[in-house]
Amino acid sequence: MNIVVCVKYVPDATADRQFESDNTVDRVGVDGLLSELDEYAVEQALQLREKREGEDIEITALCVGPEKAVDAIRKALQMGADKGVHVVDDAIAGSDSVATSLVLAKAREKIGAEKKVDLVMTGMASTDASMSVIPAMLAERLELPQVTFASVVESQGEVFRVRRDGDTATEIVEGRLPMVLSVTDQTGEARYPSFKGIMAAKKKPLETWALSDIGVEADQVGLSASWTAVEGTEARPPRTQGEIVTDEDGSGATALVDFLASKKFI
Amino acid sequence: MSQFSETEERTELRKAVRAFAQSWGQDYFTGKARAGEKTTDLWLALGKNGYLGVNIPEEYGGGGGGIGDVAAVCEELAAVGCPMLLMVVSPAICGSVISRFGTEEQKQRWLPGIADGTQTMAFAITEPDAGSNSHRITTTARRDGTDWILKGRKVYISGVDEASHVLVVARTEDHKTGSLKPCLFVVPTDAPGFEYQPIPMELVSPEQQFTVFIDDVRLPADALVGDEDAGLIQLFAGLNPERIMAASFATGIARLALEKATAYAKERSVFRDTPIGAHQAIAHPLAQAHIEIEMARLMTQKAAALQDAGDDMGAGEAANMAKYASAEAACNAVDRAVQTLGGNGVTQEYGVAALLVATRVMRIAPVSREMILNFVAMHSLGLPKSY
Ligand SMILES: Cc1cc2nc3c(=O)[nH]c(=O)nc-3n(C[C@H](O)[C@H](O)[C@H](O)COP(=O)(O)OP(=O)(O)OC[C@H]3O[C@@H](n4cnc5c(N)ncnc54)[C@H](O)[C@@H]3O)c2cc1C
Ligand SMILES: Cc1cc2nc3c(=O)[nH]c(=O)nc-3n(C[C@H](O)[C@H](O)[C@H](O)COP(=O)(O)OP(=O)(O)OC[C@H]3O[C@@H](n4cnc5c(N)ncnc54)[C@H](O)[C@@H]3O)c2cc1C
Repeated sequence: MNIVVCVKYVPDATADRQFESDNTVDRVGVDGLLSELDEYAVEQALQLREKREGEDIEITALCVGPEKAVDAIRKALQMGADKGVHVVDDAIAGSDSVATSLVLAKAREKIGAEKKVDLVMTGMASTDASMSVIPAMLAERLELPQVTFASVVESQGEVFRVRRDGDTATEIVEGRLPMVLSVTDQTGEARYPSFKGIMAAKKKPLETWALSDIGVEADQVGLSASWTAVEGTEARPPRTQGEIVTDEDGSGATALVDFLASKKFI
Repeated sequence: MSQFSETEERTELRKAVRAFAQSWGQDYFTGKARAGEKTTDLWLALGKNGYLGVNIPEEYGGGGGGIGDVAAVCEELAAVGCPMLLMVVSPAICGSVISRFGTEEQKQRWLPGIADGTQTMAFAITEPDAGSNSHRITTTARRDGTDWILKGRKVYISGVDEASHVLVVARTEDHKTGSLKPCLFVVPTDAPGFEYQPIPMELVSPEQQFTVFIDDVRLPADALVGDEDAGLIQLFAGLNPERIMAASFATGIARLALEKATAYAKERSVFRDTPIGAHQAIAHPLAQAHIEIEMARLMTQKAAALQDAGDDMGAGEAANMAKYASAEAACNAVDRAVQTLGGNGVTQEYGVAALLVATRVMRIAPVSREMILNFVAMHSLGLPKSY
């Protein structure tokens, strides 16, 4: 089985987020890492291989992003993926999800030209833009069925059966390869790279492709080709101090209720 | 080490271990310690991820890395509040000695368990009358047929209750000269005649120290590690790793203390709105601590690089210096961190005071500051032997 896992390189969520003058995320000046939510996708791919012992399962980590984004691929390789493909091209900067999905789809097609791809896996959302739309867009572009937001993944042969936990109901969805599968953070903790994994990662094949390698024109992507535009950004306002109700004469309860009512909590 | 930075892999290893250890954290560690419980689940998780045995050869279940790698693991764990004392002992001392001098059969028997944490090996050299002066070790092994009969007493032995075996430094009688020479034995902790009692210590640590009574413990011939005549060389093979690990343990704790202190100094304001970190009386001692820690880390990395390059002698001097510098840096850093936090520096909540004893120990064990100064005076400076 040939699996492609889409891994995104995102700014470290614990660090300050910066924007460029054109309102795109500053991805060069800040520390980045493999999106935590995509670690779950890598983990599920690895577990799949472990569960289906004896089968020949190859896992390729695919990332679209600036030069430093190779770190996201390296982390996936350290965790146990076999190969990396990094699509990097100045023209991609500022691409929205529609454009990003085009690049991912084309890259996946090139991977598939060498060896048929059975399964494309993604996280449930990126931790930076968090639109959650790439899996669907990818499926559309690749003309594949999509099974999204899987919290439990089981498979037998070509058939994948997943659990999808909604607010009101839990669905069991089945799909047949080839398909696009996105997994949630409920699938189980992702492993940390082992020492051997770290040592082995350096020797694993990692290809770097430009847009021309995958047959995408520069004017199909980038900020100017994007359907969406970010008009402005604003930092979240600092937390204001809470209101303290002191009760000296027994009026505390009333004051509390008044407060809750004024905020329309009750 | 042809350049003054660690390899990319080492850096990645530090990053991975740090992230891993953060998911356990200092609260987990001190919580276990204060409850009198062990951190076995963390130990096994370390083993499972291959972090514990990074220095053990691959063919015996390890990572095939060097002492510098396992020291990096030890340091990063300590730096996030999970100092693993038994890493100094089990993979580093015992693992190094057995990897280098054990017979093929001994390596296969003991190394995989040391590497994955399912079998921990403690190390016992110190005796009531032989701490700094290990020439006075009296634990002796005598032949009985092909077996060995071991007798003696050890003190301050860490983690005996968590260990499946103890690597015991003893002496055997030289057939020719009649003089006693050191020999290393692997003793199962459940062997008849092997008993141990905890020593109450003022340490916040899940690991305890024990007095060990070895009362005519019968051991098979192959409990003796490697060659009967190579005991001294074997012992030395464990000492450099021990010092490098102790140094890393200390600088890790020092980094934790300094991180807590700087974070606090940025937030806490006492007079007006100026954070206390703006006062040089607070800032300079912390800056000094940082410099001392970085120098100690550099010397530790040098010692590890020399050791991994096979230069035992060169590594010996550097490892001693690294151990000295790290203990000093750690004691200073923790002392200054306590001062920076004021009263909070002594609370359990802020987790700094607990580091005081832990770092103070580093000036004493596994080799005291004075013995290192003796060594440097004599070997590095060529001064007369003073003891
Ligand atoms: C406010 C804002 C600012 C932006 N700034 C920039 C910018 O500065 N530069 C820029 O290039 N783009 C920018 N974008 C576009 C953004 O990066 C794209 O939306 C993104 O590439 C795909 O959408 P998503 O992150 O919402 O993915 P989601 O749909 O949330 O992601 C789902 C899954 O798709 C996969 N995936 C998504 N993106 C990639 C990728 N690049 N490589 C591999 N797998 C991936 C992952 O598996 C992920 O878990 C910005 C978007 C927004 C909303
Ligand atoms: C927490 C902890 C864990 C330990 N774990 C282990 C373990 O797992 N295994 C093990 O074998 N041991 C262990 N030890 C023992 C440790 O290695 C010894 O405590 C250490 O070697 C010092 O020996 P001592 O305590 O007998 O001190 P002593 O040798 O009695 O020394 C007392 C003091 O005199 C000084 N001194 C002695 N001789 C001289 C001299 N010639 N010149 C100047 N000063 C001198 C020493 O530096 C020291 O300050 C542990 C100790 C501690 C505290």
